[in-house]
Amino acid sequence: MNHLPMLEINNLTKSYGAVKAVDDVSIHVSRGEIAGLIGPNGSGKSTFFDCSTGLGKPDTGAVKLDGQDITGWTLNRIAREGRMLRSFQKTVVFKALDVEENLIIAGQMFTFPSLLSTFGLGHMSRQRVSGLRERARELIRMAGLWEVRHQPAGNLSGGQQKLIQFASMLMPEPKIILLDEPMAGINPKIIERVVETILYANKSLGVSFLIIEHNIDVVTSICQRVIVLDQGRKLVEGAPGDIIQDQRVREAYLGG
Amino acid sequence: MALMETTQPLRKRDLRIALGAILIVVAVAAPFIGSRYVIHSLIIALIFMLPAHGLNLLVGYTGLLSLAQAAFFGIGAYTAGLLAVTYGTPFYVNLVAAGLVTGLIALPLGIPALRLRSTSFVMCTLGFVIIGQAIAKNWISLTRGDMGLSSIPKPYFALGPLSFTVSGTTAFYYLALVIGALATFAVWAIVRSPAGRNMIAIRENETLAESVGIPTWRYKLIVFMLSAVFAGIGGSVYAHYLTVVSPLTFQMYYSTTMLIIVLGGGAGTISGVVFGSLLFVGLTEALRITPELRMIAYGLCLLVLVFWFKKGCAPLINRFWDMIGGTK
Repeated sequence: MNHLPMLEINNLTKSYGAVKAVDDVSIHVSRGEIAGLIGPNGSGKSTFFDCSTGLGKPDTGAVKLDGQDITGWTLNRIAREGRMLRSFQKTVVFKALDVEENLIIAGQMFTFPSLLSTFGLGHMSRQRVSGLRERARELIRMAGLWEVRHQPAGNLSGGQQKLIQFASMLMPEPKIILLDEPMAGINPKIIERVVETILYANKSLGVSFLIIEHNIDVVTSICQRVIVLDQGRKLVEGAPGDIIQDQRVREAYLGG
Repeated sequence: MALMETTQPLRKRDLRIALGAILIVVAVAAPFIGSRYVIHSLIIALIFMLPAHGLNLLVGYTGLLSLAQAAFFGIGAYTAGLLAVTYGTPFYVNLVAAGLVTGLIALPLGIPALRLRSTSFVMCTLGFVIIGQAIAKNWISLTRGDMGLSSIPKPYFALGPLSFTVSGTTAFYYLALVIGALATFAVWAIVRSPAGRNMIAIRENETLAESVGIPTWRYKLIVFMLSAVFAGIGGSVYAHYLTVVSPLTFQMYYSTTMLIIVLGGGAGTISGVVFGSLLFVGLTEALRITPELRMIAYGLCLLVLVFWFKKGCAPLINRFWDMIGGTK
């Protein structure tokens, strides 16, 4: 068993003009762990996410994924070669495409060995796509979306769209998934389902998670460790039970 | 009603095949039905269909609005014209060369241009056309400037001892028809491939596409080059048809015409582009008979399009399928 952390981010800093959105933050996510990242609005969580996943460029800092230095990699390369996937708060699915297409797209770059091979229409290519379709259907059934699999994803409810996004992220057998407020704006019934999916992916598929979430009940129930950011800095980290008792965290949230 | 139940409803697929067959028959029989002028109009429509197909890959499938098609069309025309006039190479050599040269030129142009976002990218591609025209006008030792290249030979084929020239309008029509059909098939193959699915993903949401591992930048560059190849091939056929190429081949008017074909026909659909070429080029070419009314009729067409058919003719075509074939 490898004891290296799955994700290790060291001394990450990102400024917008004079404002330090993220200030020298170092965190790690252990193999097989579900870690939470919380903090009041504007504490730099999303910027931290963007800079760790290649969507934004950090000013300084290093990102190590599964022992490999991926600092400066683009979002698509981190996904494709690193198998570290991320979700977005607002953009969730390809709205005009049906559910099945959404999932097939999410798996394509992991099945085809090169960009040029995706232009193929031959036997190999068709076989790869039908393999993807099979896997997509499996995940669609698991996510309870079988009935709506041929509907445009944009027609479905916000919660269902989040489920599609989850299923999409499981298409390529990821090593680690970073979720940006997965529970925001969805009803409690779907929250349960999302929690179930996360736990299933973690236990059965061995996927590690780093989750930004405001729903503190969800955080305390699924995360093994919680990291708190405040004003761009790491305030504290520890077991969820200790964190919610922590005076500094309470002050940060109450604006003390 | 009882009668309706006993007859099998026509299936959409069968209908498409049937209508496709009718279309092929009409296309093949056209020279026997239409006048010389109609055939000429059809040839022009088939020629413009080529850059429009390329543009559709870019605009309709990848979501990148480009006005550069006329530049690549012109480069293709000059490449074919210069080869034919200088070296007397056969038609298919010029055609392939025109496609390759434009595709390769699109690479260094696309690398900086595709770094730009939306409107800036459109302006940049517009610049390519203007620069292309300036080069064609001023690089006199190569292009003969405003005089242009004249007496480009009609397409001639040489295969070993066999050689023949496509001289008549009818013969040229069949040549253009074959090239148009091959190009349509090529677009179909690209769009149906997994890469086509990735292109649509980029069009729908670029950041989301990135996040599932799609190298969007490289795809956009490849599609930009492919669109140029289609335009270059179109230009080579154009040069051999008109037998004259001048700096006027680099015209904004051509770029907008190609865009109108795609948007008017139905961006992101192949049948839309075929239909759009016939409607917007074939029709304007045919309207030349009444020059006073031509631009007015054209303008009216565009107004109708903008106000009532925002997605082009494609929804109309679809409704037509549904009307005559049910929904299956």
